[in-house]
Amino acid sequence: MDLLDLIDTIQSIADGVLFGTTYALLGIGFTLIFGVMHKINLSFAAASIGAAYASLLILSAVKAPAVVVFLMAAAAGGVLGGLVYLVGFKFIPLANPLATLMSTVGLLLLIDEIIVHTTAGVPLNYPALFSDVIVPIGPFNLRGDLMFVFVLGCVCMTVLLLLLYRTKLGLATRAVSQQPTASQLCGIGIMRVNILTFVITGVVGGIAGAMTGAAIGMLSPLLSLPLTVKGLIVTVIGGLGSIPGAIVAGLVVGGLENFFQFLRGVSERDLYIMLLLFAFLVFRPGGIFTVAAGRD
Amino acid sequence: MDFYLGLIQIIGVHTLLGLSAYCVLLTGQVSLAQAGFFAIGAYVAGMLTVLLHWPLVLALIVSAILGGAMACAVGFPALRVKGLMLVVATAAFGEAVRLFFFNFTYQVQSGAILLGPHGGEGFRQIRYFPEHGWGTLDVVLFIWTIVVLVMAMLWWMDRSRVGAVLRAVGEDELAAQSTGINITAVKVSAMTIGGIIAGIGGGIFAHYTTHIEHIQFGIVLATFAIAYPILGGLSNVFGTLLAVIFIQGLLIEGLRFLGDWRNLLFGGLIVLAMNIRPRGLLDAGVLMTLKRLVSRNGERKGA
Amino acid sequence: MGNAKVLELHGLTKHFGGVRAVDGVDLTVASGEILGLIGPNGSGKSTIVNLICGLFPLTAGRVLFGGADISELPPHTRVALGITRTFQNIRLFGQLTVWQNLWVAQNSGEQRKQNFLPRWLGGSKGARAEIDRMLEFFDLGHKRDELAGNLAFGEQRRLEFARALAARPALLLLDEPAAGMNAEEIEQLDSRIRKMRQNGVTVLLIEHHMELVMSVADRIAVLNFGQKIAEGTASAVQSNPVVRDAYLGTTTGA
Repeated sequence: MDLLDLIDTIQSIADGVLFGTTYALLGIGFTLIFGVMHKINLSFAAASIGAAYASLLILSAVKAPAVVVFLMAAAAGGVLGGLVYLVGFKFIPLANPLATLMSTVGLLLLIDEIIVHTTAGVPLNYPALFSDVIVPIGPFNLRGDLMFVFVLGCVCMTVLLLLLYRTKLGLATRAVSQQPTASQLCGIGIMRVNILTFVITGVVGGIAGAMTGAAIGMLSPLLSLPLTVKGLIVTVIGGLGSIPGAIVAGLVVGGLENFFQFLRGVSERDLYIMLLLFAFLVFRPGGIFTVAAGRD
Repeated sequence: MDFYLGLIQIIGVHTLLGLSAYCVLLTGQVSLAQAGFFAIGAYVAGMLTVLLHWPLVLALIVSAILGGAMACAVGFPALRVKGLMLVVATAAFGEAVRLFFFNFTYQVQSGAILLGPHGGEGFRQIRYFPEHGWGTLDVVLFIWTIVVLVMAMLWWMDRSRVGAVLRAVGEDELAAQSTGINITAVKVSAMTIGGIIAGIGGGIFAHYTTHIEHIQFGIVLATFAIAYPILGGLSNVFGTLLAVIFIQGLLIEGLRFLGDWRNLLFGGLIVLAMNIRPRGLLDAGVLMTLKRLVSRNGERKGA
Repeated sequence: MGNAKVLELHGLTKHFGGVRAVDGVDLTVASGEILGLIGPNGSGKSTIVNLICGLFPLTAGRVLFGGADISELPPHTRVALGITRTFQNIRLFGQLTVWQNLWVAQNSGEQRKQNFLPRWLGGSKGARAEIDRMLEFFDLGHKRDELAGNLAFGEQRRLEFARALAARPALLLLDEPAAGMNAEEIEQLDSRIRKMRQNGVTVLLIEHHMELVMSVADRIAVLNFGQKIAEGTASAVQSNPVVRDAYLGTTTGA
C-alpha cells in the first residue's frame, strides 16, 4: 500500500468516525431505555428520523434559519419519545418482553408509513451546515458538515452525561435502572422517570436524526431500518446499559464502516460489519465495557 | 380467482416462516436469523432446479438439510448469549446472509440467456412450475400439503415430552438446568428444527415467485417471522396460522381498498393488538374458553 | 445405612467480586443421612446449594459426589448422576401442567438410557406410572392437569419437592422447603423427608425453621459469613456458644 492509499484510507476512516457520533447518539438512546425499562425500543431510530422530518415540516411552514431546524428536531423527538412510551409501553404488562418488542416493531412500521404517506416516499433535502467549509490538516481534509455533526454530537453527549450524573433526575433514573422496587419504596415515581427517560432519549434521537440528515444532505424513510440495525449494533458492542461504551462503539462502527467501504466497495461493506459483529457478540458478549455482564 | 389462489400460496409460505420462528420462541429465544435460513433455502432450491434440473422435492430436501445445518452451526455460538444480545446477533447473521447473496453471482449460459443468481439483480427465471406444467391450483395443493404436514408434526411435538421440555426451557432456564435438562442442546435443537422449516419455506417461496432477490430477505421479513407467532400466541401452532391470515390476508390484502392508508393501519393494528392482547391473539385464556365450549357441546350431544 | 460418603466439599470457596459468599467450607454428608445446614441470612447457605448443583463456577475447592470429582461438570450432568434440588423461591414451570412438570424432570442416568422415541414422544408406561405414583404421594393427583402456575402456595411447594424426586436422586438438596408453610404443612413435610430417607435418599436440608431441622436432621452444620462455625448433633449445636453469638449478633467468644 503506497502513501496515497494510506492517506485515503485514513481520510475515509476519519470521515466515518466523525459521522459515527450519530451512531453513538442512537446507541445511547437504545442503551438508556434498555437501562431503565430492561426493554428494547425498536422504534427509536424510526422516531428519530421522524423527528427530523417533523422539523422540516415546521421549517416549511415558518421561515427560519437552519440552526432552528436542529432545535425543532430535538423538540419533535422529545414529543415523539413520550408518545412512543404511552402507546408502546405504558399499557403492556412488564412481564411480557415479547409484547413490547412487537409493539415497538408496529410503531416502527407506523412511523415509516406516516413518513412515506406524507412525503409520497420522495427523499427530502435536509439543510446542511458548513457544507462548503473544508479544513485541510496536513494531507487530510476535514469536511465542515461532518465536523459540525461531530461537535454537535459531543456537546449533546456532554449535556446528557451531566444530566445523568449531576442532577437529581439523573440520580433517579440510575436508581430505577438498578433497583426498580427499591427506588419506588424510596419515593421515586417510576412512571415519571420512565416517561422522562423516553422524552430525553427522544430529544437525543431527534438531534441524531437531524445530524444524519445534515451529514447525508437528505432524509428518506429508507434510512430508519439501517439506522435501527446500526444503533442496536452500537448498543450491544458498547455493552448493554453502558453510555461510554455506546460512544466508543459508535465511533468505532462509523470508522470501520467507511474503512470497509473504502476497501471493498459499498455493496460489501455491511457484510463485513455484520460478520464482525456476530463474532464479537459470540466471543465477547459483555461488550467493550462489561457493565451488564451476568445480568439476564 | 387467481388472486385468491396467490394469496393462499403466500399464506402457506409465510406460515412455514412463522412456524420456524415458533419453534425457537418456545425456548424463549428471539431469533431474527430465520429470514437468513429462508434465503438460503430459496437460493439453494432455486439453483438446484434451475441449474442442475433436479426435481423440486429433492431440491427442497436439500434446502431443508442446509437450512437446518446452518441453524445448528449458528445456534451453537449464538445461543451462548440471550435476550437483546441474541436478537442483535441473529439479526447480524441474517443481514450477513442477505448481503452475501447481494454480492453472489453464479450464472450459467443456457441457450440465449444466462441463468442463476446475479448479485443485486437477483435470481430470475426460476420457472420450474410452468416448465413442468403445474397449474396454480397444483401449486397451492403442493404448498398446503407441506404446510399441513409441518403443522401436524409440530402439533404432535407440542403434545409430546419434546414440547414440554422446550417450554420448560423457555419459561425458566435456571430451573430447567436444575431439573437436569441440557439447555444448550435443547435450544440448538429448536434452532435446527426452525432452520429446517425455514429452509423448506424458502425453497417453495423461490419457486412460486420465480424471481428472488436479496432485498426480500431483509430484516423486515425476519421481523415478520417472529411477529406471526408472537401475535398469534405461543399456545399452539394454530396461533401462528391465525396471525398469518390476520396479517397477510386481512391487513395486507383485505384492506387494499384503503389504498395508501392500509400500510398506516397495519403498523397501528399491531401496536393495538399487543396493547389489548399482550400474550397473543390465541392465548391460554381463549383456548380454555374454546375447550369449555367444545366440551359443553359434546355433553349436550351425548345427552 | 452405610457410612459411605455421598457428598464431600473440600475447601469450597466462592467470591462474588469482593464478597466472600462461601469461604473454604469443608463438609461431608454420609449415605442415608439427613444433614441440616443452618445459619443467619446471607451466611452462604443457598450459594453452597448452587455450587453443588453447578449453577456457577467455583472460585476454589472441590465437590466430590460418591468419591468422584464433579466440580467441573455442567448442572444437567450432575442431575443425571443423582443430585437434585428445590428452590428457596419456588421455580416451577408455571405454564406447564402439574403432570408435565414432573415429566420434563425425568432426567436421571437410568431414565436417559431409555429408548429415544418412547422417552421423547410418548413417555413409556413405567415413566407415566412413576409420575402418577409421585403425584399421589404428594397429594396432587387431583390436580394433575392444572397449570402449575395456578396452584396454591402449599401445593406449589409440594410439586417442587415432587419434581426434585422425579429424577430419582441419590442426594436431595432442599433449600428452605418450609418457608411460608403453616404448622400442619410442616408436619407433613417432616414425615415426607423421613420417608425419603427410608427410600435411600440422602438429604441436605437448608432451613430457617429450627423446629423442623432439630427434629429431622441427624447432624447439623452451622454457617456464618461463608464459613462453617460448628457441626454436630442438634443438642451439641444448640448449646454451642459460637452458634448463639452468630444468631444473636454478639461479638464475644467468636
